[in-house]
Amino acid sequence: MDIYLPIAEMSVNAPLLIVLGAVVGFISGLFGIGGGFLMAPVLVFLGVPPAVAVASQANHVVASSASSVLAYTAKRGVDYRMGGIMALGGAIGAVAGVELFRLLRLLGQADLVVSLSYLIFLGAIGALMLHESLNTILRRRRGEPPARRQTRRPLWLYGLPLRMRFPRSGLYISALPPLGLGVCAGILSAIMGVGGGFILVPAMLYILRMKASVVVGTSLFQIIITTAITTVLQAGRNQTVDIVLASLLLFGGVIGAQYGARASGRFRADELRAVMGLLVLLVGLQMGLGLFIRPDEMFAFAPGAGQ
Amino acid sequence: MIPPVLPPPVIEAPAPPTPEAAAPGAFVAAALTETQVEVDSGFAGASIVLYGAVFNPGDTPADVVVVVRGPDRPVRLVRKVRIAGLWLNSRPVLFEGAPGFYMTASTRPLGEITDFGTLRRLGVGVDHLRIDAPEEAATITRYGVRDVVVSRLGEDYLDWRRAVIRLRENADLYDTVPDGVSFVDDGLFRAEVVLPTEAPIGTYEAEVWLFQDGEAVSVRRRSLTVEKVGIERAIFDFAHEQPWWYGLLSVLLAGLTGWGASVWFRRT
Repeated sequence: MDIYLPIAEMSVNAPLLIVLGAVVGFISGLFGIGGGFLMAPVLVFLGVPPAVAVASQANHVVASSASSVLAYTAKRGVDYRMGGIMALGGAIGAVAGVELFRLLRLLGQADLVVSLSYLIFLGAIGALMLHESLNTILRRRRGEPPARRQTRRPLWLYGLPLRMRFPRSGLYISALPPLGLGVCAGILSAIMGVGGGFILVPAMLYILRMKASVVVGTSLFQIIITTAITTVLQAGRNQTVDIVLASLLLFGGVIGAQYGARASGRFRADELRAVMGLLVLLVGLQMGLGLFIRPDEMFAFAPGAGQ
Repeated sequence: MIPPVLPPPVIEAPAPPTPEAAAPGAFVAAALTETQVEVDSGFAGASIVLYGAVFNPGDTPADVVVVVRGPDRPVRLVRKVRIAGLWLNSRPVLFEGAPGFYMTASTRPLGEITDFGTLRRLGVGVDHLRIDAPEEAATITRYGVRDVVVSRLGEDYLDWRRAVIRLRENADLYDTVPDGVSFVDDGLFRAEVVLPTEAPIGTYEAEVWLFQDGEAVSVRRRSLTVEKVGIERAIFDFAHEQPWWYGLLSVLLAGLTGWGASVWFRRT
């Protein structure tokens, strides 16, 4: 059953997109991430113009994150003060990112920046996660005690001005690092169409050293706000949000996210992190390695001429 | 069930013979089965039949060439260049106008029907379609980005031009069908125009040429429009006319869906 997408101006197989949304939603619920980094490559592979894919899936991320954040709210797993500050940063980042993306598209360099961002960010974070979680798993297998978690936070967190209390996270630190993290997530959200959870979660765990129980919920809360702003900006500035495409994706996405969130209780946290690290690494390599391969077609159309 | 009443096919009445046409030359008449293609949610491309008649009183054999052109739009292209081991995009090159859709259908390959010069003059065939470029290369700034405008006389104009045609051919937007015009009866011919899903919205021009001895002796022009209708049209217009409200609505829809699913799942 094919359906015509009015903004992407192409027709796609509707059930396929619903299944895709559900699979990505499941992964998103399982790992507590937006799942956008998986969606964009698949949509582009299906022939959706990258700009439309990135903008429309930001909308899908809003839905699947909203679907799972409520579950965390019930468990008091969201630090709204921390999330709010990161979301403020996210809003600033999103505005800058959407303008940057617009300029890059017109320069014909959007593909390059998207591929490089995937290669660098996903590659590095995937490798780190894989390394860290495999170590933990090996230690457990050998019966060694888990490596003593370094509880001391970097000192610069305390040296910066604007210190605030974050009771739910158990922190009393400067508001600047969370704000900066939010800005990064906002820029990535506009350029890669992702929520930025794959960066926020490790950063909150290993740099801010927040309480593990509030990390995922808080990152989801921040992602909803950032991607909501990104969607509105992409629609208003670039007219690249395809509501039909987004609806198909999020229909499957919200259902998948619920099952994913339920399934996550059945696995060990370190094993989940190992699988997610591998997934992130593979997607990053797949998107980035294309840059090194001689293309079959030496020319490509660039957007921005006829609109 | 009462069968729907279909309008009779539009048949062009042959022009009344005029005194000047005492020694009448051959001429051609043509019409399209549809003059309006509607793009709706089930749109998966369209196939339109162009049919017509050749009035050929003499013995000279005649060839028919059908040319369909979509709306002209500027085209920007980039070329992959290798820098430090990475394949990157060059600075964009701009053509001022190229048809968004272009196809020719003919009774024989175009090269057998007439000569190169005639095809070039009439702009018939993908090798001869007009892709606008000025005489001098320049750079222009659009939206804060400097584009190279290639010159018609420049060395690499042909490379870029061929790339536009090749990319469009791969997307089924440009097509050459050397046996696309077939005679179904004495003097009566048909040709099929296949529009892919990506066919641009706008007004298309169909030209039907009649060739005899390599000379174009008669031409008929017909037009057809491709437009979005129904919900697709409404969404497209909404997204372009009130983009901020459209964005807000999209987000609201997404948030509500997520919230609804979560509530619904907790109950069950």
